[in-house]
Order: sequence, then C-alpha cells, then structure tokens
Amino acid sequence: MKLEGEYTFDGPREQVWELVRDPDVLVTALPGAKSLEQTGENEYEGEMNLRVGPVAGVFAGRLVVSNEQPPESCTLAVEGKGKQGFVDGIGHVNLEAVEDNKTLMKYEGDVQVGGKLASVGQRLVETASKSIIRQGLDTMNNALVARLEAQQTGEKMEFTPPSESEFAVSVARDMAGEALSSKAFKWIIGAVVIIILIIILVIINQNGL
Amino acid sequence: MTKKYLGQPITRNEDPRLLTGQALFVDDVDMPDMLHAAFLRSDYAHARLKGIDISTALERPGVVAVYTAESMGADWEPGPPLVSPPPTVEDVVFNSRRQVPLVKDKIRHVGEPIAVVIAESRYIAEDAAEDILVDLEPLEAVIDLEAALEPDSILIHEDLESNLAAQLVQNKGDYQAAREQAELVIKKRFIIDRGAAAAMENRGIVADWDVKSQQLTVWDTTQAPIPIRNGLAARYGLSEHQVRVIAPFIGGGFGPKMMMFYPEELVIPWVAMKLGRPVKWIEDRRENFYATTQERVQYHDAEIALTREGRVLGISDQFLHDTGAYDPYGLTIPLNTQSHLLGVYDIPNFTSEIKVVFTNKVLSTPVRGAGRPQGVYVIERLLDMAAKELGMDKVEIRKLNFIPPDAFPYEQHYIDQAFAPLIFDSGNYKPAIEKAVELIGYEQFITEDQPRYRAAGRHVGIGIVAFPETTGVGPYEGARITIEPSGKVNVATGVGTQGQGHFTTFAQIVADQVGVDPRNVNLVTGDTAEFHWGTGTFASRGAVVAANAIHASAMAVRKKILEHASKHFGAPQEELEIEDGQVRVSDLPRMSISLGELAELANPLRGAVEPGTEPGLEATAYFGPKYGATAFGVHSMILEVDIETMTVDILRYVIVEDCGTVLNPLILEGQIHGGVSMGIGNAYYEKLVYDENGQLLNASLADYLIPTATEMPHIEIEHQETPSPLNPLGSKGVGEAGAIPVPALFAQALENALSDYDLEISETPLSPNQLYELLKGRS
Repeated sequence: MKLEGEYTFDGPREQVWELVRDPDVLVTALPGAKSLEQTGENEYEGEMNLRVGPVAGVFAGRLVVSNEQPPESCTLAVEGKGKQGFVDGIGHVNLEAVEDNKTLMKYEGDVQVGGKLASVGQRLVETASKSIIRQGLDTMNNALVARLEAQQTGEKMEFTPPSESEFAVSVARDMAGEALSSKAFKWIIGAVVIIILIIILVIINQNGL
Repeated sequence: MTKKYLGQPITRNEDPRLLTGQALFVDDVDMPDMLHAAFLRSDYAHARLKGIDISTALERPGVVAVYTAESMGADWEPGPPLVSPPPTVEDVVFNSRRQVPLVKDKIRHVGEPIAVVIAESRYIAEDAAEDILVDLEPLEAVIDLEAALEPDSILIHEDLESNLAAQLVQNKGDYQAAREQAELVIKKRFIIDRGAAAAMENRGIVADWDVKSQQLTVWDTTQAPIPIRNGLAARYGLSEHQVRVIAPFIGGGFGPKMMMFYPEELVIPWVAMKLGRPVKWIEDRRENFYATTQERVQYHDAEIALTREGRVLGISDQFLHDTGAYDPYGLTIPLNTQSHLLGVYDIPNFTSEIKVVFTNKVLSTPVRGAGRPQGVYVIERLLDMAAKELGMDKVEIRKLNFIPPDAFPYEQHYIDQAFAPLIFDSGNYKPAIEKAVELIGYEQFITEDQPRYRAAGRHVGIGIVAFPETTGVGPYEGARITIEPSGKVNVATGVGTQGQGHFTTFAQIVADQVGVDPRNVNLVTGDTAEFHWGTGTFASRGAVVAANAIHASAMAVRKKILEHASKHFGAPQEELEIEDGQVRVSDLPRMSISLGELAELANPLRGAVEPGTEPGLEATAYFGPKYGATAFGVHSMILEVDIETMTVDILRYVIVEDCGTVLNPLILEGQIHGGVSMGIGNAYYEKLVYDENGQLLNASLADYLIPTATEMPHIEIEHQETPSPLNPLGSKGVGEAGAIPVPALFAQALENALSDYDLEISETPLSPNQLYELLKGRS
C-alpha cells in the first residue's frame, strides 16, 4: 500500500528535524504509543496500541532511521508485530524550507500489512494509516509551536498531547468522514462519533482513568 | 414389482430432525474430560521458521499442552498422496508435495498451522496461542502464476527445480492441421479467479482414544470417513477395526471436506492418543478462509478454429492451474477442465497443455464443479466470440456443433481425471436447448422485448449456454440392507451425507424393492463401524454409485424374501407379492406374513439350517461403474444491469437439465438451486483476493460476498431424462450441475445487455466494480 502526503509545519526546518529525532516527542505524537526507547544510534524499539476498525491490539515495533541528511531528509523503516498481524513500512521524509519561516514536509512510503489486520481491517487500513499520520503530525506541530513560544518567552513549555481516547475519536471521525462523504450521511458520522465517545467514556470509567 | 416410490417427490425423511435441532453435528459432541484445541497459524505467506518458544503459553493456567512439529517427533509426516500420476500419458511431469501436520521449517501459505494449544476451554487455548513466540524469516511470496514459473522466481519447494508442480499435454486428432484449414481462428486469454466453498458449517474434529478398549473414535466433518479411518489406522499403527470415524450430519461439504488429510485431521487424533483425553477442535469462520481449501484460479490461452459456416474444427488451450502451496490432488481439477473444454460439441481436433503451479496461497482442491466450470467457461465464451464474428445466432452455432444423439457412447480420445479414456455415455442435446429457448421466450425477447427495453433506456440481456457434466465415477460403493424382526428396515452405506437427501432417495430405492414405506427405512451413512468399504461423497456420484449399490443390495434382499416366503407358503415365487411390509400370495389374502415375522423365521434359535444359508433377511452388494456417466443441461437467463450502480437483477432463470433417471424431483431441484446459488456467487460476487504478499484481504463474510435470498432468482426447471446405459437405475449425478455453467452464462448475458458498449468479457468472477472498470475502458 502506497502512502504519500504533505504537511506544513509552523516552524523552521532545524526545529522540525529536532522534533522528528526526539523519541520523547515521537512517543507523545502517537498516543497509543506506550514506549519508545533508543536501542542504538539510529534504532528505536517500542510498543504501541493500534486500533483499525474491529482489529485492536498491542504491536511491538522497531524503528530504524537511515540516510540521514539533516535537516533535509531521512529514511524511516518501521517493523511492527503483534497478535493481530504485522506492519512493515519504509518511508522517505523530505523537509523543505518555505516562506514565513515554515517547513513543508513531504513523505512517501510503502506499507505492507499482514495477518488479521490485513484480512479483516484491509478496507480501513489505508484510511486509518493516513489519519494516524496526519493526527500525529498535527500533534507534533502543536508541540513545535509550544516549544517555539517557550523559547521566545522563556517560560516552561505547556503542551498536553491528546489523550488516547481523543486521538481515537479524531481517527474514527476521519475514517467515517472519508468512507461516507456524501451529504446524506453527515448525520450518521455524528452519531458514530457520539457512540464512540460513549464507548470510550465507559472504558475510561472501567479503567478508573 | 410396482415402482411406487422411486421418482416421486417425497419430502425428506431427515428434515423433521434437522429442523427441530435433533440432529448431531460435530460441535454437538460433548464428552466428559474433553479438552479444546486452538491452532497458532502463520501470518506470513512465505517464511522460514527459525524457532518457536512455547514456554509462556505453557504457563497460562488451564493450558494442558502445546505441541509443535518437533514434539511430534517420528510421528510427523506429510499427508498421504490422494492421487497417483497419470500412467497412460507420455511426457508427464508430476511433483507430489503434500500438506504437513504442523510447520517444521518453512511456511508456505498464510494460515498454515505452526503449533497447537490444548486447554480446558477454547478461550484459554486461543489466548495461549497468542503467547507463543515465533521466530520467522519472511521470504518473498510467489503469487502470480506466470511469475512463479520464471527461472529467477523464489522456490516454494526448494528441493524442486521450479515451482512447476505438474505438466501434461493431451491431443486429439491434429489441431495444427485443423487450424490451417480453418477460415476463422479466434485467440483469447481467459482469467478465472478463486472462490471458497464457504459451507455454513465450518470444519471440526472430536477425537477420543479410549485406553481401556484401545479404540480411537473420531467425529469429523469429512465427506470421506472410510479413507480417513484407513489412513489414521495406518499412520498410528492400529488395526482398522480399532478406529471408528463418524461423519454425522454435516452443514454442507461442497468439496473441501473431501480433502484428506487436513493438518488438523493428522494432529487432533494424535493429541487425543497422547493425552488419553477427548480433544475437540472446531474451526471458526476466519480460520475457514485460511485453513480450508479453495479453488478455481486458472489462466487460459485458448484458440478456436472454425469454418465460415460456424462448424468448429478444433480447440487449443494452454493453461496454468494454481494449486496453492501443496498439490495433494495432483492433476484432478485441471483434467476435469480438459474434459469439459470441448463442451457438448463434436470437435475432432484438440490440443491442450496443463501446467500446475505452486504458489504461496491456501491449497486448491475440488470445490463444487472441480475444474468443470473453467472448461465450460472457455468453450462457451469462444463459441460466443465466434458467433459474433460470423454474425451467427448463439443458439444456432451451438446446435450446429452438438454431438448428435446417435453418436453415443462418444469417445473423446483423451483421458479424464480417473485416468481412463473420456467417454460421454449418452446425451440428447438438441431437444434440451430447444426446450430452453421455448421456455424463456428467446425469439420474442430478441425481436420484441429487448428493443422495447432499450428504447426505455434499460439494459436487459439474454444468455443461453449448454454444458456437460462428468459424474458418477468409480471406483465403487457398497450397501448392506437388513430387515429386522420388528419389521424395520436398516440400511448402511459407506458414503457420508452433507445435505444431499440420501436418507430419502436411498430409502425410496429400498422401499420399492422390499415393499415398505420409505418412512420406515432407517439409513446410516458415514459411520465406519456400520459399513467400512467405499470412498466417499464427491464428484456427483452418490446418486449413481451408492444408489446403485443400494439398489443391488435391495434386489438381493428381495430375492431372499421371496425365497423364504415361497418355502413358508409352499407357493411358487411368481405368485407372491410384497406390499406395505407384508408378503402375501396373490389372490389368497389370508396367506400373508409380515416381513418382520419372516425375518425371525429366517434366523432360528434352534434346529438346523441347510448348508450355504445366510441367516436373516440381509444382503450386502457393491456397485462400480465401467466409467462415469455424463449428464448435461442448458441454462438460460434474462438479466438487467443498472448502468449506474452496476448491480444486476436476474429477471428470469430457466434450466433444462438431464441427469438420467430422476430419483426424487424435490431433492433434485434442491441440488440445482444450491448449485446455481454457488454459480451466481462465482460469476458476480465471490472472489478471494490475495495481495502480492499472499495476504488474504477478504477473509470474512463482510467482504467475501455470498449470494443471499435477495440475489437468487426464481428458477424454472424442466427435466429431460436420457437414462445412462452404465447402471441399472439409469441415473447420473447432478450435485455440481447448478454451478458449472453460470459464469459463462453471466458473461454472455452481460455482454448482451450492454451490447452498445461492445464488451468482450474474458474473466470471472466479475463484480459491480469490475464491470464498471470494463465499461469505462470501452466508452
């Protein structure tokens, strides 16, 4: 499955690059990511909760960064394995400085999916991947903005990454939105989101969060 | 002898039990101390197995054992070969590679079982299966048939030189010469893709090894309990009589349950013997997509050579057949395809090459049709293309080429899947197609209705195809009939039943000979303790082979009845008649005895019997046909395509079928309806999609679409009876007939409905999406 896209960050390339290479930022950018440890100069290992349609589970993952040309580009190779299947992806990230001190990130990659994720979630995997990437980049952008402000004002950075449930809701909304883009179904999207919120509230309640 | 029951549309004996939940299915079997199994299956299509760590799984409470290929030790062995290579044809390539109980060093398809967990409940077993750590080295998957045969392709079986599993060429006459003489030659590539059988009941096994009586009892959703029994006995060093395999009521077989031996069939009995406790494994729906066999992928490069008048001089077809990761069934399916590539037509020249290819997909073994639909698809499509080129009517070109009724038995001069010369035993095709044409109103549709639909902007088309079906193959089946002192009639036969109505049709045959009501005939099928000679229910042979064995056995019992009664009354046999369970001397109603009393008299507790007497009123008989009988039929339909949604609506569906002597018209129609449903699925809805990594992308009924009641048309069936000369009943099989011609029929009708787009359909299954793409390409 090919994945490609663009995203504009509200900050200069050097800062974006630092964020991308900071495991503590990465782990918050993807809620559901339970941990991300640096295990080698360019290697990280961690665990992530992944939810795609009816398939949900913990994935043990490995991230390897290569072809580093700071602050311009790098290649990310991702391997994730779990009880629900596996994910193997390789992507190239390109950062371009654009006007207003912003950065245009271009990414393109290839993701292979297998196991239950492929056979039951296949229809949703593409949409879910794009959405997870976009939500993650949004979070990173917010972190970037907060960091820049903190640098300017000298104050401590205030930044709360979205909780796992909020994240799940936005992903679900994206997926529902893309799947049912006809006007007639807009009310169904709303209902779906409300139902998901209720389910999440119940889960939060049960887990005593 | 009055023929009262055979041929009557008698309602089924087995239905009251089935409809009130009083029939035993494998999952109903519940034994004290029973354990449950769950299999850990591969997520990768092609990988090297480096190591398995079962320690965490073993620690989970409730887990009794975890087994891998290593734990099986010397008992680990691939399944036995199910067919031998064809002996009578030269230049055959045949590499037999069979499925394994548990993966030892290499994974060859998604879903291949790596380990089995035995626990107190299925929930615990599944959770524990996820605790098992597997170290794998993923390899590139081989999916495309042509890429698999490239010299640089990765090998699925590394001890072979290539991924070629088998190769065979068959010739009839001289195709090259015919081609040179021909005035029109059409060449076309046809792509046929995979479908599943998707029976309502998934597979399941319960195995129980009773140490004290040294008996292994296995309940198995198999279509072939006797070969399973014999195979298990041989494998585990037991006498065949220590093993009992029971195939109880089964919710649909359709072919994959005929496959022997599934990994689970090799593992579960072994586990039961090892642990000394009964073990149950029931397949869930998702497993069914990975663990139960599928079928139909073939790529055909075909050619038809004709005269300007539309007379076919020859057919050539080189095709690739996808066997999946292993090939236990050898050349069976593609040989069936070859047997049907000439359809019901008199074609003197033919050349065809089969290449069977290994791929990293689930095994391919016969599924309803078993290669016949592919052959019929190719010939019917070629004829349609020729008809279009020559400006001939589709019905006329078929009638011109039919095998004439006086040419039977018609020898095809090449071999079939039983490795015997292919011979069509009987047939009468012209009246069948003329009847279909009349029933569907073919002429009126073309001249009046269709122009009216077109003017109204509706896309409605008509299709009509003819097809043969080889059925009733040997080797043999047997049956034993016993009349008990209570008057009850007991019949035992080796075949199993998966909904074919055996409990009724077979009872009708017995009832006619033995003079009782079919409701009083008790039948046992699929239990090796009751009858242990035979092969199984497959290839549309139950109504031919088993039915004739029962007929022979019933006639033998009748003979005994008359002999005993004759002696009892002191009257000659010609003056006796049997009716309603009583034997009486005609014209002397007081001289009558019930069958039960006669049975008792035939089995004295004291006194002497004459030498050579067999006690009681019981007889066993066998039947094996010289070769398989060929049934045939014509399907015709009118369908409408919605040009915006690409959904289809079948407005009329007409069938004229000929399966020889009809045993029970009600059950016959049921078989045909079921077959048509599967055919409609194969034509427009069902397609198993594998991606380039061998991942099955639609392994759920949400994405693998099976026709429901709303997709099924009302089917009008007309019977024709051309009895088979190959068996006393004159019957032919019909189990697969409904499914065979439907993809070809759909292609023709769709082209006709969308004739303003000038489509040329050469692939199946289609779908609304695919049809949309095809139309886009044409406009």
